[in-house]
Amino acid sequence: MVWIAIWKVVLLSSLALFALLTVVTTVRGAGDVRRLFQRLEEERQDPEVRE
Amino acid sequence: MNDALATAAQTNFTGWDWGIVVVYLLVSLGIGLYVKRYATTMTSYIAAGRGVGVWLGVATMSGTEMGLITVMYNAEKGFKGGFAAFHIGVLAGLVTLGVGLSGFIVGPLRDLGVLTIPEYYERRFGRKTRVLGGIVLALGGILNMGLFLKVGSMFIVGVTGLSHAGWALPLVMTALLTLVLVYTVLGGMISVVVTDYVQFVVLSCGMLLATGMAIKQLGWDSIFSEVQSQMGMGGFDPLASPAFGPEYVAWQAVLGLVGCAVWPTAIARALAMESSTAVKRQFTWSSIAFAIRLIVPCFWGICAFVFVTRMAPELGPWFGVGDQSLPPGEEAVSPLFAMPIFMGRLLPVGVLGLVSAAMIAAFMSTHDSYLLCWSSVIVQDVIAPLRRESLSIGSRVRLTRILIVIIGCYIWAWGLFYEGGDDIWDYMAITGAIYFTGAFALLIGGLYWQRASSSGAFCALLAGCSAVLGLGPIRGPVARWMLAAAGKPVTNEAAETLLSSARVGLFSVAFTLAVFVIVSLLLPDSPPKQTASPALNEE
Repeated sequence: MVWIAIWKVVLLSSLALFALLTVVTTVRGAGDVRRLFQRLEEERQDPEVRE
Repeated sequence: MNDALATAAQTNFTGWDWGIVVVYLLVSLGIGLYVKRYATTMTSYIAAGRGVGVWLGVATMSGTEMGLITVMYNAEKGFKGGFAAFHIGVLAGLVTLGVGLSGFIVGPLRDLGVLTIPEYYERRFGRKTRVLGGIVLALGGILNMGLFLKVGSMFIVGVTGLSHAGWALPLVMTALLTLVLVYTVLGGMISVVVTDYVQFVVLSCGMLLATGMAIKQLGWDSIFSEVQSQMGMGGFDPLASPAFGPEYVAWQAVLGLVGCAVWPTAIARALAMESSTAVKRQFTWSSIAFAIRLIVPCFWGICAFVFVTRMAPELGPWFGVGDQSLPPGEEAVSPLFAMPIFMGRLLPVGVLGLVSAAMIAAFMSTHDSYLLCWSSVIVQDVIAPLRRESLSIGSRVRLTRILIVIIGCYIWAWGLFYEGGDDIWDYMAITGAIYFTGAFALLIGGLYWQRASSSGAFCALLAGCSAVLGLGPIRGPVARWMLAAAGKPVTNEAAETLLSSARVGLFSVAFTLAVFVIVSLLLPDSPPKQTASPALNEE
């Protein structure tokens, strides 16, 4: 019975954390995508910026 | 699946669902075409210009590691092993969290600024180790992804109710592969990380939605009680389960560590990050996804098992579940089909299309990263170091693109013709071990042990190839030969007990580490090379 209780807790906490991670990553990842494109655009227009 | 099973499966997949899937695929293709303009240097092509932020890093790592192959093999584990299979995900999450908090391996590697793992081999152990490491990595990795395309296509066939006896499976394989090749070849890592982000969002929402609907349909307590009545405590306790046991659990702990800290596609994400601090945060947060990518699909497999035993016993004979026998002339099908059939009957129109698009997203995000990873390793770490004249950036990008297409053709052919009897997860673990046993020794030794030598590294890479013994078509005959040589009865059960894939994998890891340490001590570098590890330089 201990294992059943453990897996119930694991499953519930996994789903809750997954939902939280999805929201946070969706919102803040969009900002990262925007910054990545800005940086790549700057590099494309000014080759000196490249590594 | 065969026609009688397709009739029994009664999928809810309709034209609306096809429409959702097609729109999603076109969006992915559009992104690949849009970002092509930025893929002008090798750094931007294979490391996205090293400009990936933490949250985009989490999305792309999660998207890559949460592939459709992962969903399928974990569903298979859940279907066969019940909740006991959850230990695989729990161990993976805990180990990844440890790597994120400590920066073990990934932090020092990012600080060095290398583009690939074999590039690190060269800095620490010399050029010949880099070339051998690149060859072993590419061979093990390409073999590892050999079944991705077929298994991913099996999901589409299962969920849509197409027949795999005829044209459907090869057609789905060809269509999916073509799409992935187009946008990976065009946009490289930039295309990969951006599409991974979109795929992460679609995939996460789809997985949460499908899980909620499965629980609602079957009942929370009923799922646990049905597993208990059908499998007993073996369906919950991984140490007592006939499907797992202590040796298997130990093997999963090793796989959890190498899966996040040594596996090249995960390392590629670390090397594309802005800094080692960002890498640690990326891994800490991604530990949640590393656990969930295994636990949630495993739960779907369990739900499929409960669905078959409780609500659709007519499907039981095809999967070897229940007391009914198969209709005359029919053959059992792979348990891999159980989860997609369950999804096809559980989810309503529209939601099924969204979840299918999410699964195709998972399929593509894994394929693009793996194709890019192996092809760039061959170019950067095998072809370029072996040439006397240096390769121009244009030539490297062009070669990488050609190799992506060649590897794509290989996985198409391998998926159609390979006939192994292993569970998919065990096949992947053992093919991956061909590479990661050697890499594990070299990275730990190179970064944290000053007496690690080039000869030890070279021999460890060769010793790591011993993992190939764990492949079903090789392991079976070897085990039977060993039994016969020992004068014991030769049966399939005895052969599996003697040489399980977990036992071969653990042996290979221990053997490789031993070879690395012994040869390094016997044949030290002279004069001692200065370590490339910033951690050691500080000492």
